[in-house]
Amino acid sequence: MTQAAPQFATLPFATLADRARTVCAAATSRTTDNGQPFLLVPAADLPALAQFLRDDAALRFDALMDLTGFDLLKYPKAETPNAIAVLYLLFSYRHRHRLQLRVLAPRELCTVPTVSAIWPAALYFEREVFDLLGVTFTGHPSLQRIMNPTDWEGHPLRKDYVYPDAYHGVAHLREGQHFETNPPRAGDPPPPAAAPKPPGGHA
Amino acid sequence: MTVIAIGTAADGAPAGPGFGYTVDTLAAWLAGGQAPGAFATGVAIVVAWVVPMLVLVFPLAALGQIAERKIAAAIQRREGPNSAGLDGPLRLLCRAVLFFLPRPRQDRVFERLSALPVVRTVLATARRIGLGQLLADGVKMLGKEDIVPADADGVVFRMAPYLAMVGAFLPFCVVPFGHHLVMLESPVGALFAIAASGITVLALKMAGWGSGSKWSLLGGMRAVAQLISYEIPVGLAVAGVVLWCGTMDLHAIVGQQYRDGALTLLGWNALQSPFLLLLACILFFAGLAECQRTPFDMAEAESELVSGFNTEYSGLRWGMFAMAEYTEMLLVSALVATLFFGGYQSPLGEQWIVALPVWLSVPIHAVLLLLKMLAGFGLMMWIRWTLPRFRVDQVMRLCWLSLVPLCLLALLGLAAQLLCAGGATLGVPYGRLPARLQPDLGMVGHLVGWAVPLLLGGVVVRAARRRHGQMHPALRQLTGGAP
Amino acid sequence: MTVEATTPSGERMTLNMGPQHPATHGVLRIVVESDGEIVASCTPDHGYLHRSIEKIGECVEWPMVVPYTDRVDYVCAMNANLAYCVAVEKLLNTDPAAAVQVPLRAECIRVLVAELNRISSHMVAVGAMAMDTGAVTPFLHGIAQRELVNDIFEKLCGQRLTYNYVTVGGVAFDLYPDAAAEIARFLDQFEIEMRRFNKLITANAIFRDRCAGVAAVSAAEAIAWGLVGPNLRASGVDYDVRRDDPYGIYERLQVRVPVGQGFAGRRGKVGDCYDRFVVRLLEVQESVRLCRAALAMLPPPADGKPADPVGGFQADVKKLLLRPPKGEVHCRTESARGEMGYYLVSDGTKVPYRVRVRTGSFSAAGIFHHVMRGIFLADVVAVIGSFDVVVPEIDR
Repeated sequence: MTQAAPQFATLPFATLADRARTVCAAATSRTTDNGQPFLLVPAADLPALAQFLRDDAALRFDALMDLTGFDLLKYPKAETPNAIAVLYLLFSYRHRHRLQLRVLAPRELCTVPTVSAIWPAALYFEREVFDLLGVTFTGHPSLQRIMNPTDWEGHPLRKDYVYPDAYHGVAHLREGQHFETNPPRAGDPPPPAAAPKPPGGHA
Repeated sequence: MTVIAIGTAADGAPAGPGFGYTVDTLAAWLAGGQAPGAFATGVAIVVAWVVPMLVLVFPLAALGQIAERKIAAAIQRREGPNSAGLDGPLRLLCRAVLFFLPRPRQDRVFERLSALPVVRTVLATARRIGLGQLLADGVKMLGKEDIVPADADGVVFRMAPYLAMVGAFLPFCVVPFGHHLVMLESPVGALFAIAASGITVLALKMAGWGSGSKWSLLGGMRAVAQLISYEIPVGLAVAGVVLWCGTMDLHAIVGQQYRDGALTLLGWNALQSPFLLLLACILFFAGLAECQRTPFDMAEAESELVSGFNTEYSGLRWGMFAMAEYTEMLLVSALVATLFFGGYQSPLGEQWIVALPVWLSVPIHAVLLLLKMLAGFGLMMWIRWTLPRFRVDQVMRLCWLSLVPLCLLALLGLAAQLLCAGGATLGVPYGRLPARLQPDLGMVGHLVGWAVPLLLGGVVVRAARRRHGQMHPALRQLTGGAP
Repeated sequence: MTVEATTPSGERMTLNMGPQHPATHGVLRIVVESDGEIVASCTPDHGYLHRSIEKIGECVEWPMVVPYTDRVDYVCAMNANLAYCVAVEKLLNTDPAAAVQVPLRAECIRVLVAELNRISSHMVAVGAMAMDTGAVTPFLHGIAQRELVNDIFEKLCGQRLTYNYVTVGGVAFDLYPDAAAEIARFLDQFEIEMRRFNKLITANAIFRDRCAGVAAVSAAEAIAWGLVGPNLRASGVDYDVRRDDPYGIYERLQVRVPVGQGFAGRRGKVGDCYDRFVVRLLEVQESVRLCRAALAMLPPPADGKPADPVGGFQADVKKLLLRPPKGEVHCRTESARGEMGYYLVSDGTKVPYRVRVRTGSFSAAGIFHHVMRGIFLADVVAVIGSFDVVVPEIDR
């Protein structure tokens, strides 16, 4: 049992970004709309930068805490609405600093090099992003769907995802059912004309 | 202190059909003093050989099921089966007796009957004990579909449960349930018991092979490896008793454990020598492994994955394996009791029980042996619900690297004790050693004979605990300080 | 111990474990290849419990996501609720105009329920692991304690499994009148029970030998493979979100953190199954202490004023959640299975844009195929039990 944590050589974001730029000059410091900083990295430079971030003595980002993403299609006033943002949340147990990397993968050519050789935790995370957002990670040893069945079509977390009508011949909706978000959002397709409720209460 | 030589031909057996003392005496009594004919002999055989099994062993094995569940529940702080009582059988009885009445009338009689205060109390107690659970489980088991897998080796698959039952029940032939109340009075009774219980090994092998599935085969092989390995400590433990008593006849062994006076238990083999006490424990635990009970049930309770050799058995066939398991537990308890704890004799005041008339002393003796068997039975269940399970390599290591060397050491110690302390230790039949090798060390020998092994044992146990059994110092506070 | 897994003829058998599992881990399917004795490879198959909770998070309003977070980890639902609510509060606090002040009483109640739920979750975890090794009794004793906690929670919020109790800005209901005394009574008898429990199973030499040295994960491996929580601490890494990145009132409570040290003795290694088992029991002890500290810190209730900053139980955030700040936030809390990280993306409307849950069991499932090579077949379930994976956390 340990008591209070000792002091760590934690670096602020600006220093981390500067150090990262010594390896990847194209990495730009950005902030989210509410002021959270991250490092925007072009996809091609990602593996080299990741290796540097893990191995550099002052940085030592030994843990990939999360590898996730979200679709920018419906984000209001997004700079690149046709891209899928892939997020890398890094953490250093040695120095206790955090860093967010972001890679924007265009929808047409949605590939990003893998970092699973550097952080084995990425093996499962990248499979999940591939399954739910459709980003292909080149170099991943076993890139297949993890949540959905392997023959599922479509990537559900994309904002333009249309739920298929049937799977292996079994229809997903019964008579009179339709999918809708609640509450309806601006920009969503209007729901089909409301079918009359069948008697007996079974919708 | 005198030792009565019971079991030899010295007490004048009558000339009879030659089926053993019990049958002969019973047949002679039935025939009224004349030479017993076929009928008398037949009745005598049935009473002496079949009744003990049916009345004593079989119901215990059946009750073992409900005892197991209730004991498990008590240990786990819950109630166990408490809903199935005897209401169903009582209703069936009403229907059967009053078959001439229409059904609603029968039900009304049943309701009136079960409303009587005495009957209501009895039914409530039965429900709380869960007696009806036995019947319910039995009926359910009988009603299950009899599935024989397509890949199964038909004859082997079907024969295995019967063989398992045979291997469990057959050794009871030589277990004495009372003075001369033993089915097979054989001078090699102990050997017969061990040999007959080896049929179970064959049965398990057949079950594993006959199921026609790779996983059953592997489970069966693992079970067989365990059984064969643990035959060694069992045999060596029995050999220790044979060395001490000089005979393999179980009846004679029980007789040698007799003492006059109030404290008959001082004559028990387990209290004659610390090595014998050690062998008693080893026989008990090796017998536990023979029955494949936790902590030794790795073969059948890879239940996380498959159920081992009895995966493919369902319904009554599986029930036979379960019955065989409980019977073998009773057998192990009976053997330990017979060899080490005086058999059917009472711990206190055996002298006066022997003096009672036959129709009183025989049931008392049988009940005493049953109580000892039940004590062993309960201890096995207690162990099962407390300890986790050994892994396959741990089971083998325990047998070959711990139990077998211990047995050999115990045998060595017994032999040394016979040589050195024989004269002073209580009641050892001394006659086997040649006269010139019989030293008489008196009280000194007696003390040495007990003190040295106990000291050595204490040293060994402490060294083993220090090397193996201590908890990490940082974890001592988890158990409130005890290491 | 690790051994090469081939029969003399090189044959391997494929065994399918699950999705229905005798051990209480949920619908997890693992395809095991072995020679009958030793495991050669093991491939998990996930997705049987995928309920698209992250997608649902994009369809319902901010406070309506809370019941879904219960289902992310139903064994430890209070912590799952808390993780989301703390993340949303952090999002609101990024804009000073939308800042939330959670009342002190609510913070104390949050700690109470979170730690009680950690206790009951660990009881399931260690009990299930003991049951997988053959000892059924400790499981039932642990479940008995969990039932007592569930009784308290039932009186608190009406539920025994999926509580929907911790809300954005506080908790849904105040403590019932007898709650503090009942919790104190529970903690007292629980400590006595745990001593007995540990004498039964933790001190048992057979159990220790079963778990010693099996599936040991070194500290570097644990970090690289993304393990969190008790799994990480058992491998020797001294990190706990409650102490090192505190939220709520945990900074005041000075959490002490147990770390694995190869507790199994001669044959044990740091980060083996026994370490993971013991670390959870030590954490339970610490949770009892935290509960008592929270009870001591609990301010008296402010009747009729739920938003009172000291004695209230729920700040008023309804208007704030109709128009939260636009942006993103990453927030971590320590659930029973490790660091539960929420990444929330808000587009300024009353419905979230993206709700991402990062759970500890997901990474633990990710390390299975790496760690289960060369162990005995009988150890597979013990290893799964020692990592304490609950499938709803993996599949969401």
